Parts: sequence; structure tokens; C-alpha cells
Amino acid sequence: MSAPTCVAITGLDTYWGTHLAERLLERERAPRIIGFDLHRPLRLAGRVDFHRFDLTDPIADAELAHLLSSEGVEALIHLAFRTSPTVDVEEDHELETIGSLHVMNASASAKIRRLVVASSTMLYGPRAVNPNFLSESHPLSGHPDAHCVKNRVEVERLVSEWALRHRDTEVTVLRSCWAMGPGHADYVSRYFERDVVPTILGHDPLLQLIHADDLLDVYEEALIGSHPGVFNIVGRGVLPLSTLLALAGRRRLPLPASVLYRASSQPSQGQTGDRPAAFFDYLRHLWVADGERGWQEFGEPVYSTRETWMSFVGSRKLQAYR
Amino acid sequence: MTDRDQAPDDNVIPLRRHRRRPAPDFDEASIDALRDALEDLRNQIRSRLPEADRVSAGEPGIDWFGLFDELRSRISTLGMRERSVEIDEFGADAELLIRTRPLLDWMSGSYWRIEVQDVDRVPATGPVLFVANRSGLLPYDGLMLAHIVERMIPGLGRPRHMLADGLITLPFAQPFLARMGGIRACRENADRTLRTGRSLIAFPEGAKGATKTFRERYRLKRFGRGGVVRAAMDNHVQLVPVGIVGAEEAHPILFKSHTAARMLGLPFIPITPTFPVLGPLGLLPLPTKWVVVFGDPIELCEPSDADDEELIISRSTAALRDRIQELVDQGLDCRQSVWD
Repeated sequence: MSAPTCVAITGLDTYWGTHLAERLLERERAPRIIGFDLHRPLRLAGRVDFHRFDLTDPIADAELAHLLSSEGVEALIHLAFRTSPTVDVEEDHELETIGSLHVMNASASAKIRRLVVASSTMLYGPRAVNPNFLSESHPLSGHPDAHCVKNRVEVERLVSEWALRHRDTEVTVLRSCWAMGPGHADYVSRYFERDVVPTILGHDPLLQLIHADDLLDVYEEALIGSHPGVFNIVGRGVLPLSTLLALAGRRRLPLPASVLYRASSQPSQGQTGDRPAAFFDYLRHLWVADGERGWQEFGEPVYSTRETWMSFVGSRKLQAYR
Repeated sequence: MTDRDQAPDDNVIPLRRHRRRPAPDFDEASIDALRDALEDLRNQIRSRLPEADRVSAGEPGIDWFGLFDELRSRISTLGMRERSVEIDEFGADAELLIRTRPLLDWMSGSYWRIEVQDVDRVPATGPVLFVANRSGLLPYDGLMLAHIVERMIPGLGRPRHMLADGLITLPFAQPFLARMGGIRACRENADRTLRTGRSLIAFPEGAKGATKTFRERYRLKRFGRGGVVRAAMDNHVQLVPVGIVGAEEAHPILFKSHTAARMLGLPFIPITPTFPVLGPLGLLPLPTKWVVVFGDPIELCEPSDADDEELIISRSTAALRDRIQELVDQGLDCRQSVWD
């Protein structure tokens, strides 16, 4: 399949959707972009065909299928996921799992030729007995207490089943690790922005990061080029949490795990905000993914884990001076 | 009438009587003399200081701003001093390893007086998979073997040593062990290490070896499920058996306490001659005499038939275990006693 002339982006009003659309528009032969979201992204006004769309609507699949086939969409990237976990478990399930199901059903009906789904290496789950590098074939254990992760594991299962049934569609699943970048903010970056960062006493896991620009490059390439399969999208190198915080000049507050979990289950008191207690397990055990396949397929990322972190820290410092 | 009822007699001296010291009897003149002497001393010290210091020493206050700046720069780099900037992909800290090298030299040379035998049997190049008997609670044997290989066989570089799950999941110990070059024992990690051309130390006995009691010392336990042989076959590396003698007595487990351990959520609490008695100090290993014996590399035959593979692997594993047992016995014969 040659480069698509018309692509669709679900979740256009997210950081990833907006920036991906801008990148695609800057291309020499820019494809037509159809965007779906609940809100119109103002910075893209007039440059994309925006459709206000609610994926949690019970008949969303039929509507979406109609829109996709009438617009002649060839490739779709599914980015309509939450950037931060929510306490509303039901709503979370509706958007992440059912919403993805609707997108897949509509894609099948509209005979989309390429489907790209954003996923995360968090789905492997933090486990003390993980191997140091998790390959794409490692089972997705998720985390028993994190609904956001559980739903995404379910989404991946649905996608892989869907891919088996629709063999003439190229399906790409991109599992990215924590993405950091100057303009990007989510619950992970907010955690690292604190002056005093609570960590778990006695644990110092290795972490890997990917720069938001590198991840956008991969999204763009996955949508334009032909790269079927499942890929870990991570930066080169790993760094321990303690080194990350020391490089940023942030103070570490090591707390016993039980105290930290209890504090984060009461967001108002623990001031841990929108992070569920399960988040801290990702700062306790290893969940580093092996990025070799992704690097071979999409090329070497520009930023290593360390450079990503320094760029993130530098941008946040500038913001503080402003 | 007893003596008690009588009025205290001046002739009777009470047994314990606090004799009051006479108050210092200084007159004004001697205090003044002392003060003068002190002032004199102070002037002498001041005159010996360099010029810059004399100024600040003469000033009544302290340079608070300078001190604050100093403190701030210290705090912002806090933790960076003892942390190397780059670590490798398994979390090993090259700088820490270089810094601890004198300590490891001392431990292998003076503390445990390690006697290394037949080091020339080890191939000089290429990744090598060392297989040794596991002993002692804490992974000193892996650390020491890695150190010996690094020191005596420069062509191989420092091998990583594999750690059983029980150690690698231990809070506090885990970050340190990883920085010292330990990795979790699993096939993925072994394959990755050997593929990148680095040698590896495996202890196929695993936790069973580390937690055997003193009575079972130097009797090798079952060797896993043949993962070592399989890893060597798949990665086409040479398998070198190693017998380590001495680590067993560094932490002799007299018996295991299960009742107290259940309350703390631990698998068991080891009772050693020093451990619960001396507290954390009991975790220090005893200065036993160590002997490390290297064996000839083992040739592995490639299975011709896929169905026979399991049998061949289990036979090779058993042979490997016997070979290491021989090396351990050889090492035991070289020692006069536990201490020399």
C-alpha cells in the first residue's frame, strides 16, 4: 500500500493527535486529515476536517463507519485514550475499551487498509521477576489495581483478535514507554515536576523514556509507511529513578511502600493527585522494554533516555523562570 | 537498747561520707594572669594564619551568604558524587565497580585469602558461561568470582553474575546488587548478556544452594531444569565449571527458623553463629579460607534429534553437576581447615 491520501485521527484534541496532525500537514504531499474528538482543537482550525464525535455513544460504530467510508479514509490512527487515569472506573472502561471496539468495528465496515493503535509498555506490568528487557512476545500482565492499564490490556487483546479476522488490513500496535517532552504534560510528568518527589524506600528501578518528538515521528511513519506488527517504542538506555531525580536536582522523599499506597488512595491528603496507588508499583519494580525491533523498523530515536530527561528538565526549568 | 536508737556519736564515722572538695581558692590576681595568657595565645595563633584567613578570623561574624551558596551547591549535587553518570543497560555502575575495586581486592586477598587454582583452563577470549556452586546467604561468591575473573583473565572483562529471585526482589539489597553487576537469573537476561559478548556467572542451584544448612555443606543441590546447558547451547558459548570452597562457612546456617519468619512475611530466618545474636553486625561474613577451582571447559554435543534434546540436556546438566562437585571436593582437600 502506498502512502495514504486520506487519514483519520481519533482523539484529535489530545497532545498526540494535534501534533501528529501538524506534522502530517507539514509533509510535502500532505494527506487529507479527518479528525474525531469531543472538542475542536483550535490550533488546527480550518486545516483538518473535524467531526465532533463521542466514541462512548452506543451507536458510535455505525456513525463512524459511515463517516470513514464517505470520506474515503485509507488509514486510521487510534489515539483517543486518556492522558491521565481517572477515578471513574465505568467511564474509563466505556472510552478505552468500548471506544476502541467501536473504532475497530467501524474500520472493518469501512474497509480501512491500515490501523495504528497507540499502546504502552506499562501493559507488561511492573513485576519484581520481570526480565531486564521485555520483548514484544512477553505476556501482558498489566496491573491488577490499575483500571487504566487493565482496559488497555483488554484493548490490545481485542486488537490482536481483530487483526486475525481482518488479514487484509495492516495493523500496527505501538507500545511506547513514558513519553516526555517540552510541551507534553500528563500525570507522569506532573509527578516528576514536584520539588520533593515521593519514592518507595528500598527500591530504585531502572526506567526508560522516549522523547515526545521521537514518538510523534514513529506515529507519523506508522501511519504513512507500511509497518504491520507490534513494536516497543522506547528510547535508548536506562537510568535508575534516583539518578533521574538527582540529575533534575529534585529531592527524593523515600517512603515505606505501605505509607505511600495509603496516602495515594486518599488523593486529597496524600497530594498525589490523579495517580492511583498502582502507579507507584511502576516506580518499584522493573518494566523496561526491549526496543530493538522498533528501532530496526522505525529507525533510531533521536533522543536517548538521558537526553529525553534532560530536555524535559530543561524545559520545565525555563517555564519556572518565565 | 540497740546502738541505733542512740544519738549519733561524734566518734563513730559513717561508712560513706562525701568528702567535700575544698573550693578553688583563686584570688583576683591569678585570674587576671590566666586571662592575659589566653589573650597571648590567641594573638600567637592569629599571627601564624595566612593573611586572608586572618581577616575573616578577625571579623566577628561569619560569611553567611558564602556559606549559603556553598550549602546550596552541595545540596544540588548531593547524590551525584557517589553516583556515576552513566550506567549500563542492566543497571551496573562502572564507576562504583572501579571505586570498590580496592575493597574487593582486600576482601579476596586478605580477608578470605582466596586461593585460585587452574585459572589457565579458562578460555582467554569469547563469552564464557561460568557455572559454580552457590553457597552463603549473601551473594559474596558471585561478587568474588566476578572480581577474580576480571583481575586474572583480562581478556574476558568483568562477567555479570546471576542472582536468584529471592535476592533480586529484596528491598534495599536490589538496587545495590544491580549496581554491582548482578542480574536476575532468567533465560532472557542470560541470552542478552551472552549475545552482547559478555561473560556470565550462573549458579544453577539457585536459592536452594544459598539456603542450605551447615550440615548439608558442599553437597550440591539439584541443578534447576537445565537452563544453563540450554543457554550455552543456544548461544554457542563455552561452559566452564567452577568450584567455590569457603563461602559456605562465611555464613553458616545452623538452622532455619520458620515460626518467627512467618510473622514477618519472610520465607525463613537463618540462624547463624553471629546473625540474630550480634544484630546487623552478624550479617558480616566470617573470614574463612576460600579456594576457587576452575575446571576445563565442557564440550556440549549438539542434539541431532529434537526429541532427544531434553534427555541430552538433562544428561549434560547431571554431568556438569558431578564435575563441579569434583572441583569442590578438590578445593576442600587443599584446605587444612576452615580458616587456612
